[in-house]
Amino acid sequence: MNVGDKLILNKSNVSKFFSSLREEMRLVAPKRRFAGDVICDVVDSPEEIVWEYGHDIYPPGKRYLFPHYEDMFTYRFGEQVGMEIAADSPKQAIIGIRSCDVTAVRFQERFFTSPIVDPFYAERSRNTVLFSLVCNRPPKKECFCICCDAGPYLESGFDVQLTDLGDRFLYEIGSEKGLEATKNREEYLEPCSDDDIAERKRIELEADSFFQTASYIAKAIIYITGDEVPDEVWEELGSTCFRCAACTNLCPICTCYTVDDVPQGNELFTRCRSWDSCQYAGFTREASGHNPRSTFGSRVKRRFYHKASFQYIMRDGRHGCVGCGRCVSACLTKLDLPSVVKRIRRAMHDYIEPKSKPTAFLQ
Amino acid sequence: MNDIPTTCGFCSCGCALYIEPKQSGLGIKGLCPSTTHPVSTGRLCIKGWNVTPALIRTDRLQTPLIKKDGEFQPASWDEAFEVTANALRKIISESGPGAIGVIGSAKTTNEECYLLAKFARSVIATPNVDSACRFYDASLVPALMETTGVPASQIEIGSLESAGSMLIVGANVMEQLPHIGSRIQDAVENGCKVIAVDPRKSRLAPQASLFLHPKPGSDLTWIRALLKTIFDRKLYAETAPQMPGFEELRASLDDVVVGVVPQVCGIELEAIAEAASIMSQNKPCVVMFGLGILQQQDSTLLVKALSDIALLLGGSVMPLRGQNNAQGSCDMGLLRGYLPGYDSVEDPNARAKWEAHWACTIPPEPGMSAVQMVQGGIKALLVFGENVALSAPNTEQTISALEKLEFLAVSDLYLTETAQWANVVFPACSFLEKDGTFTNIERRVQRVRKMVEPIGESRSDLEIIAGLASAFGKQMSTEPSSVMDEIAANVPLYANVSYERLDSEWGLPWTPGEVTPRLAPIHASNLQLEDAEYLFYLIASRINFHTQTGTTAVRSTVLSREYPDSVVELNPADAERLKLRPGRVVRVSSRAGSVTRRLSVSDAIPQGCVHVPHYFGGDSANMLADGECDPVSGVPVYKGLPVKVEAV
Repeated sequence: MNVGDKLILNKSNVSKFFSSLREEMRLVAPKRRFAGDVICDVVDSPEEIVWEYGHDIYPPGKRYLFPHYEDMFTYRFGEQVGMEIAADSPKQAIIGIRSCDVTAVRFQERFFTSPIVDPFYAERSRNTVLFSLVCNRPPKKECFCICCDAGPYLESGFDVQLTDLGDRFLYEIGSEKGLEATKNREEYLEPCSDDDIAERKRIELEADSFFQTASYIAKAIIYITGDEVPDEVWEELGSTCFRCAACTNLCPICTCYTVDDVPQGNELFTRCRSWDSCQYAGFTREASGHNPRSTFGSRVKRRFYHKASFQYIMRDGRHGCVGCGRCVSACLTKLDLPSVVKRIRRAMHDYIEPKSKPTAFLQ
Repeated sequence: MNDIPTTCGFCSCGCALYIEPKQSGLGIKGLCPSTTHPVSTGRLCIKGWNVTPALIRTDRLQTPLIKKDGEFQPASWDEAFEVTANALRKIISESGPGAIGVIGSAKTTNEECYLLAKFARSVIATPNVDSACRFYDASLVPALMETTGVPASQIEIGSLESAGSMLIVGANVMEQLPHIGSRIQDAVENGCKVIAVDPRKSRLAPQASLFLHPKPGSDLTWIRALLKTIFDRKLYAETAPQMPGFEELRASLDDVVVGVVPQVCGIELEAIAEAASIMSQNKPCVVMFGLGILQQQDSTLLVKALSDIALLLGGSVMPLRGQNNAQGSCDMGLLRGYLPGYDSVEDPNARAKWEAHWACTIPPEPGMSAVQMVQGGIKALLVFGENVALSAPNTEQTISALEKLEFLAVSDLYLTETAQWANVVFPACSFLEKDGTFTNIERRVQRVRKMVEPIGESRSDLEIIAGLASAFGKQMSTEPSSVMDEIAANVPLYANVSYERLDSEWGLPWTPGEVTPRLAPIHASNLQLEDAEYLFYLIASRINFHTQTGTTAVRSTVLSREYPDSVVELNPADAERLKLRPGRVVRVSSRAGSVTRRLSVSDAIPQGCVHVPHYFGGDSANMLADGECDPVSGVPVYKGLPVKVEAV
């Protein structure tokens, strides 16, 4: 067995396969919750996994590798002065994670491990194997991964990729980690046929035609990089913002965090890090009180510069969006990426004459 | 490990969210909104995302406290109950139960509100029962009981999207109730026309087709002019003339001179006509109002007038209430003069019914309001989950009244500004540490679920009330579901509510049953706000990083960081006239008190007004209120007060 192998996992064997895996690591998978909600969570048995699910609003790759509130370490003053690591990094498999989220995990891994290594993230990432599930159909109307080179199926980047072929899953091994997680369970896998590969191709091609959201991000990247979007457009966008920061909280790419020292009593403190957001005024306010991004518009601008300017694309290896559509469904107004990209493209006609020559940056 | 679904406790929208508690150590590990819940629909506001972790902290009250020789000493629960019961018994024997007041919270669960009302009326037998709603929005109860017949919103949040027009008066809705704000944006996108009314240009401005900026205190004048216009131009719905009160309302408007509106209110006549035609041409229309109306002198009359507009046009009313269980606390009879389910305490039949339910004798008088209780006149006060020292008007006077009480017991999460004056403090636990239900702004009764063990020795208010009852020799249930069963059996509005049902689906709004809406006559009022010495009008507001008196919000890293400094705002022209530069420290004072803050200028503030947003730690616009109340509802006047601004 090698990386790159394509196998078959019959649905009749799914339970046995993952029960066996569960002996080596905890399983995180989509789980049915209250009144029809499905959220990824630790499952006690593979029977709990919901394979027919849409999309988890709470990005599982981010949640289980870079938790919302994470105790990093504790320290103590007084006589027993000392410090102790509090972060945990259990061995875990995230099952049923979607292609967009796998792409986002790879982005975050790159961010947290180069050039400076974040030890908490790195350890957790080492201990996590991703069993991604191809979207045979876009799970929600907000999905636009197809515009962001992040799905609905992946050519690479996954540890194991599963494609639902009806009574079986096509089981593709994409990494050493995926191979390792497969090794003790070969008995549940079968070789795949040419028909299986053909069926998978058919599903891929068919899925493409079902997307309802499109985002022409390429043009926005050029306008943003060239600093051509008028400030009036950013301010108009910012005027409707509710400042909830759901866009960055639920973005599987966003990595910003802040730290708090939380008193636990008896001179014991926990250093806790928690997701932070460029959409908050306090994120950039300086000690003097001066804020380089004091208006809502300037903060919306900041978010999209980070997502879509060449400066960051060069650094991060891709633009900062995987088309998961969470910002679309989580925003209290319409400051999601497709809407903002659309507004920017329209604004270029409203505010300025179309340019015939390339922008300064490209020259 | 598992996330637990619960109902957010930071505003009356009542979103459902999943919270994952930390497995070891204090606090929570993560949270996310429910996607299937009809209000949250996969979204949360800044408070929903950020305040929850601020509830589970080590600086919470850990044990009951008893004040001995001016110092708080940790005590056992039994001791705290005993001391309280003895003090209350002594006062009852000396002065009767009427010398005791009970103020409940609009943040605690329905079960706790119900049990507190029951304890106050049946065990202590005092008529003085009220809740925090008296400081905020209680005026909507008498007003709406008279007009729509439903002391609540007539419609659900989800139905706002299909409104044809909205009249939104005196509400900072985009900041205070973001989920409703979001639905307003959606409605506008669907073609809805919004008429916003606020002295200040609020964040509603981008959504408004028409934004009226009346002078503070002039609301009754423009509303009567609008009603008169609707009559004169026959813009009312076809069925309106059949509605009871139609002719009386028309007659009550006979003395309206529409022509005075520009001079009295600072609103053009065309704008009134335009508002009337927008609402009559774009149906259905929804009339919403917030604390800008509910905390004025004549607030009951103003609410009646606004609901008349909705009724005349065949539309509906949605009062914009603030606290998470404002609706439920009123439903549960934690309200001056009312028993659970809005049975009047003055109605002998209603009293007999509840005397049978509770096996007690209920005093027939309506009792004192929460405002009256904190203004003196009683000897002992029990306060559950409300920081009255800051939420009541005239902070200085309130604190001196609290100081003079013979006995004060306070139940709260933190040692609040109120608790500091207490003889006994009960450490209460937050909504993350208990089971129960909240009722949101659209009457939806929803489950609150326990996900972490109570901090220290803290207990739910349910257990605290039952513990107190037990010290009086009365048994009360500490099991939330059985208290809800009792509510369902006794309160017709909640007849269909059970935990079994709430544990299988998102809660359903209660339905009011058969009611006959009635138009109320709107006569002129003799309101006088002008003051020769205090030439500015106060605009008090709450921004979206702040909840209630700020006790929890100030403990949230993000919220306190977003709101680092308190300011007052003036129009730039006024600042220039007073020779005050932005950044300068100024004092805003009224006849009751003053606040001292840094000055900021903004075009959003009309000339002649000063904007004082609420801040943390008692730096609140409430200090400026003099304790004057709406004569009908007894809600204090916090808006439009005459103040002056001067350099310090």
